[in-house]
Amino acid sequence: MFESQLGIFGLISDAGPVVLFVLSVLLSFSIVSWAIIAFKFGYIHKSLKESRLFLDYFFEVYNAEKVFTATEKYKQGSLPKVFRAGYIEYRAIDNHADSRQVKARIVRAVKREANAENKRLSTFVSFLATVGNTAPFIGLFGTVWGIMTSFHNIGLTQSASLAAVAPGISEALIATAAGLAAAIPAVMGYNYFVQQISIIERDIEEFSPEFVAALLNEA
Amino acid sequence: MKTGQKQHDAQKKFYLWLAVAAVIHFFVIFASVFFQIWGTDHRLKPKIVSVTLVSLHGSMGSEQAISSPALVQEPQPITPIAPKIVEERPPASKPAPKLATKPATKQIQLNQALARIQQRVDKQTPSTKPSSITTLNSALARIQQKISTSGKPAVAGSVTVADNRTGAGKGYGAGVTSEPYKAAVASIIQQNWEFSKTLLKNSEGMAVYVRINILANGTISQIIFDRKAISEYLNNSVKKAIEKSSPLPILPKEQGGRDVWIGFVFSPEGLAK
Repeated sequence: MFESQLGIFGLISDAGPVVLFVLSVLLSFSIVSWAIIAFKFGYIHKSLKESRLFLDYFFEVYNAEKVFTATEKYKQGSLPKVFRAGYIEYRAIDNHADSRQVKARIVRAVKREANAENKRLSTFVSFLATVGNTAPFIGLFGTVWGIMTSFHNIGLTQSASLAAVAPGISEALIATAAGLAAAIPAVMGYNYFVQQISIIERDIEEFSPEFVAALLNEA
Repeated sequence: MKTGQKQHDAQKKFYLWLAVAAVIHFFVIFASVFFQIWGTDHRLKPKIVSVTLVSLHGSMGSEQAISSPALVQEPQPITPIAPKIVEERPPASKPAPKLATKPATKQIQLNQALARIQQRVDKQTPSTKPSSITTLNSALARIQQKISTSGKPAVAGSVTVADNRTGAGKGYGAGVTSEPYKAAVASIIQQNWEFSKTLLKNSEGMAVYVRINILANGTISQIIFDRKAISEYLNNSVKKAIEKSSPLPILPKEQGGRDVWIGFVFSPEGLAK
């Protein structure tokens, strides 16, 4: 397909089936990693932005009814979701006389929604960690296999000249390069998302009691 | 229901990003291939100067150096003749200004000297011009003769017996080695040639043109690469095969005890006579 003049792509076209398989796996890893990075970046960025706006409004108004109405505008934010869950539970309670039971139910609902939101935020992020950890090793496997084949060919031809050794090794090293190319953005993305998710989780932990207090005051 | 709808929307969004990432990856790959092809097309190709070092020894060397590879070098003997003619003229014309400076009282001597110069010039011009023309003609005739006597190397096979001539020294006619002998030599070299085509990235158009000098006792005394391949691996394998094949069978008797030159063309497809 490619001539040897085409450098890297020429070497890939001459690579063995194992190296090609490794390269295709790494390519698919890279595609999925970038898709996750793009998807998660949009999701988390929107969640942080809407949470900030919601908090501003919440402390400005401090009225459960009004705040609940405002949450319709912030459907992607994590904090508005938690507040909505607590408010819906509060509205579902028929008897508001037993304040302890009401508080317990609201706290439970808020916690459940907080957990669900944490799960939603961290979906697919673990795949980035997997790619970051395994892709270099997969690439290394391809390299080791390629060098093994190269040495086998050298043994068959009984020639250890640079012309006989170099093409096989350079062909094999492409797998390591591809592994690193897939792993580096995945690791960077993973670290960024873990940091952003931890910020959102801390916000939920801190403001959940505030939401519960606001709902109980409403009662 | 609402949660399910939201999850479905999120999934759809993720698949969309997946498709976008795949498209971007393939676009980047094809762009890299395109730029590499574009780069190779627009790269200036350096001039390749092929230099073959030939060690000359004995009568055979001179014959070899002149006969087969360098027909282009043949006009060299012609060039030294032209400057000679030019150089001979100034001595004839130089005395003239000297004589002109002498006093006019010695008119007789002057006339005599002029007559002598005239005679010398007359003698030199008719004699030198034909000599240069004849030398030129003889050189051209020699070149034409050599072109007609030298055979073209055959390139059809993978290793082809390209050319042969006896080492009879300068000016002697070229003899032809027997075909069975050449076939035997090609077969021996083929057997000793250890070469794997798979190690070559691009074997198209790759060939090594090589000549070997076989002494009467079958020893290979000289290996000359007329044209080397880009791959050093192929060149080395050819050299090793030839070195390993020495000594070859003793030359046939019709060679009259003289050494012989046989040319081969090695190509990655294999060795053939």
